[in-house]
Amino acid sequence: MSSTAIRAPAARAARPGRPRQSAWIHRRDRRGLWFVVPFLVAFLLFMIAPLGYAIYTSLYTSRIIGGTVFSGGANYTTTFQSGEFWSGTVRVIIYAAIQIPVMLAIAFFFATIFDLGVAKWGRLFRTIFFIPFAVPAVVGAVMWAFLLEPQFGPFVHAANAVGFSNVDFFSPNLMLPSIIVIVIWEWTGYNMVILYTALKSVPRDVVEAAILDDTPLWKIIIRVKLPLVRPAIVLLLFLNLIGALQLFTEPLILQYFEPQAISVNYTPMLYIYNTGIAGAQYNLAAAAAVVLGLVIVVISVASLAFRRSRGGVSR
Amino acid sequence: MRSATTSDNHVPNAQAPGESPSGRGRRLRAGGGRRRRAARDNLPEDVIPIEMYGLKRGTTTVLTTVCALFALFTLAPIAWIVINSTKTQANIFETFGFWFARPFALFHNFALLGQNVDGYGTYIQWLGNTALYAVLGGGGATALAAFAGYGFARFSFRGSRALFYLVIAALLVPISAITLPLYLTYAKVHLINSIWGMILPSMVSPVGVYLMRVFVEVSVPRELIDAARLDGASELRIFFRLALPLMVPGLMTVLLLSVVGVWNNYFLPLIIFSQNRLYPLTVGIGLWAQRAQNSGNAELFPLVVIGGLVTIIPLIALFLVLQRYWRSGLLLGSIAN
Repeated sequence: MSSTAIRAPAARAARPGRPRQSAWIHRRDRRGLWFVVPFLVAFLLFMIAPLGYAIYTSLYTSRIIGGTVFSGGANYTTTFQSGEFWSGTVRVIIYAAIQIPVMLAIAFFFATIFDLGVAKWGRLFRTIFFIPFAVPAVVGAVMWAFLLEPQFGPFVHAANAVGFSNVDFFSPNLMLPSIIVIVIWEWTGYNMVILYTALKSVPRDVVEAAILDDTPLWKIIIRVKLPLVRPAIVLLLFLNLIGALQLFTEPLILQYFEPQAISVNYTPMLYIYNTGIAGAQYNLAAAAAVVLGLVIVVISVASLAFRRSRGGVSR
Repeated sequence: MRSATTSDNHVPNAQAPGESPSGRGRRLRAGGGRRRRAARDNLPEDVIPIEMYGLKRGTTTVLTTVCALFALFTLAPIAWIVINSTKTQANIFETFGFWFARPFALFHNFALLGQNVDGYGTYIQWLGNTALYAVLGGGGATALAAFAGYGFARFSFRGSRALFYLVIAALLVPISAITLPLYLTYAKVHLINSIWGMILPSMVSPVGVYLMRVFVEVSVPRELIDAARLDGASELRIFFRLALPLMVPGLMTVLLLSVVGVWNNYFLPLIIFSQNRLYPLTVGIGLWAQRAQNSGNAELFPLVVIGGLVTIIPLIALFLVLQRYWRSGLLLGSIAN
């Protein structure tokens, strides 16, 4: 984002240097604004305004006596000092650190297989892998909850049959791995399709040149193809990261099935939901939402900066 | 566009083996069958015959097996929900999850979807709500994105760049930071328990705007628009008659993504609806699952299962029918590049 902010004024400054646009073009271009206005109105009303209102609300506190009063950073202090908010935040960071690399590795593995055409029925498999994208997270979580359920779930029976007795996928230790499996099930296909498309656009002659040089296949994949699809991987890293830090639906549904293993504040989103909706502490929940938003923006921008600095070296 | 150039490449490539310095080149000829298959599948014909990579024949078998195993993992929950939608409540728990059991209760379960079981709401009504929200929200998002994407791609009015970057920056803003404040704002403007509280925010799709802009850049030539202008056509007429038909593949992709987004949305409707007659499917099924577990309404379990199945069927069908839009990776890929 930072580079774009720098580039925008530069482009505007350059405009007088260009051949002068006629008044006709200028008037025409102004008309373009009308194409953008409908979206902008909705965008302002349903994205920017709520964001502003969240920040505003977070600075106030409602008391039973005295009504709503300005309280400055009090809600932020409460959020920052809330052990449950931070333990939830640390949990989703750990979750993201495991789930995203594993999923991207699986997705890249299959995308490569389909791109090389080294498995039969690639078209059929690609369609199958993409199916979970069409399944709502609620339904996905419900299905997996039944499958993993400790008493009657078939997967537990299977684990018993193979020799692992007393496996409890919903025990506090295995709950997070179970959620990771569910999310990997939901999103691998989508990631695979994007990576596959990116791999398909790697020029054929580049690969053929490498083959004629007797480059081993693994080297072609790691040294030739991987660097060329890096923009796609970075994009997916972002999308997955933003999604992972907002983990909500899966733990909420699993909580219905196993309340002992998932606390009401298991993730920051559950904390916000629990505080704001169930607990009706709107101001505090707004502050927590702002903090979570900042955490996400900071992590995203940091990884962008990290990527840029590394990208500069490798190129 | 790409397939045209690569098919030209084919001829020299196919004749290459004799001159190839690498021994692997000899195996090129074996790729003929694959290529024919690729042509039949309408795939871009740029699959390099696997023999060129120096892979053994057995590799294909091994990798196909790996794919099959992952497909099994992917399909297991789907198979489970299909099988268990035919079971009674007792059998869901007492019989093996991956095989059928008597009595065959599919039609009985299915009929329950039209009833208001235990007063928690009627599935068929939720299905209607979901379709309404998805069509209006997804359709609206696509329309707004088409206008805005075209505006950003083909006009450079004052501040257009800055505005576009603002929209892109919104991709970073977490839904959580928007949804709860939306709820608070709704309380002030009476949009709680209003279908518009669900539909209107669903029409805001920054990703859609980005995708449409990229799509217009590559598929609606500037010269074409300028020519129409010289002929005296109005901007709106140019958009509807000239640009829009060229944007159809992009529109379909954005529509598909937005409809799925609304169909699967859970957090926003969960927060803003307290009357079950307004629920979309996700919230209704979530409520059933919760009540079945925690309020002793175990008779809801078969409903959760059949309800889940009926929820995913329309979307899976939609994806299979519109395969070429997501499969060609059309815009999904252009985000990435």
